[in-house]
Amino acid sequence: MQKIVSLWLALACLAHAAGLEFTQASQELNAPADVASVTADFEFTNKSDKPIQIIKSDSGCSCVAVEISNGKLRYEPGESGLIRAKFDMGNFSGSVDKVIALWLDKDPEDKPSTVLKLRVNIPVLIALEPRTLKWDLGGKADPQTIEIKIIKGQTIKIIDVKSSSTDFTCQLKTLEEGKHYQLVVTPGDVASPGIAVIRIETDCPLPKHKTQQAFAVVRKP
Amino acid sequence: MNAFAQFFAIGIISLTAAAGTYLIKGPPARLFVCDTAALKPGEICLSQVPADGAIVWVDARLRAEWQRNGLPGSVLWNLDPAEDNQAFEAEMAMRVLETPRAIVYCGDESCDLSHEIAQRINALDLGADVSVLKGGWRALSEAGRIPNLNLR
Repeated sequence: MQKIVSLWLALACLAHAAGLEFTQASQELNAPADVASVTADFEFTNKSDKPIQIIKSDSGCSCVAVEISNGKLRYEPGESGLIRAKFDMGNFSGSVDKVIALWLDKDPEDKPSTVLKLRVNIPVLIALEPRTLKWDLGGKADPQTIEIKIIKGQTIKIIDVKSSSTDFTCQLKTLEEGKHYQLVVTPGDVASPGIAVIRIETDCPLPKHKTQQAFAVVRKP
Repeated sequence: MNAFAQFFAIGIISLTAAAGTYLIKGPPARLFVCDTAALKPGEICLSQVPADGAIVWVDARLRAEWQRNGLPGSVLWNLDPAEDNQAFEAEMAMRVLETPRAIVYCGDESCDLSHEIAQRINALDLGADVSVLKGGWRALSEAGRIPNLNLR
């Protein structure tokens, strides 16, 4: 009886250890600012001595579409395949990390045996620092400044600044046309909570970057 | 009795017991169970949410799903490229100023999208206390928090 149980456990362990071997399970892509999506290919080979079935995949985000070798899910020993992840850049910017989980054969629902990693670096053409200005309720209504810097190698002009609230005044200072600006914001009243959504219109030809948004808030400390 | 016979007998007894349980008790209940000990950072179980607390609920699913059966009073914020992310930011900023506690839910139990949205709310730097609801919409639905809404 002990021998049977030991054999069964040994087989179970072997089955669990078997898997697909990826040439690059982790990838980093530098995306141009003007593309809508980028694609990463994860090549793999079944290095085990038995067929492997990919049960399902999940990227955890509608922004990543996963395609497995044109729908082929079963791989014989030595057979190779490809996981293609298409990342829709949508309204992402900066460095974005995504994972693609793969469930093979008898993987438990909460524990996929394979996890692929994808990092996409999306250039920030117009950097606002900080994006949110804050004043304490009942404090001083001193002006505060948002630095607006254009990425190196680009020239993007600010053509308009609009505040959603007349309680905050905005003054744009041009330090270097198309390269560097300062937006000085002053609250008219800090005796009551308030917020302004500040929209900064530029001449950037890429719709995604054309309008930038910042916030000015008077709130409880 | 040799080892094979013992193994066979144990198998028969187990299967009989399992079948009996199934017939008497019915199929297993598959309600979502939130284990507070297994929560990732930033996650919360519905049982930990105060019933009378002021909360901005954020629906991270697609607009059509939110319109069909989103939590009443919730706001929409997803990563659909067709949506206006700046409009989401602006609405959230307004809501968080009044109610500085936000909880994001998604359609899937392990939805990473909720974490992404929570990260974006935090990035607004408005001092909001943001959590991700473990179990997402399913947890809300099973708790009877989602009425049958066809129109918002």
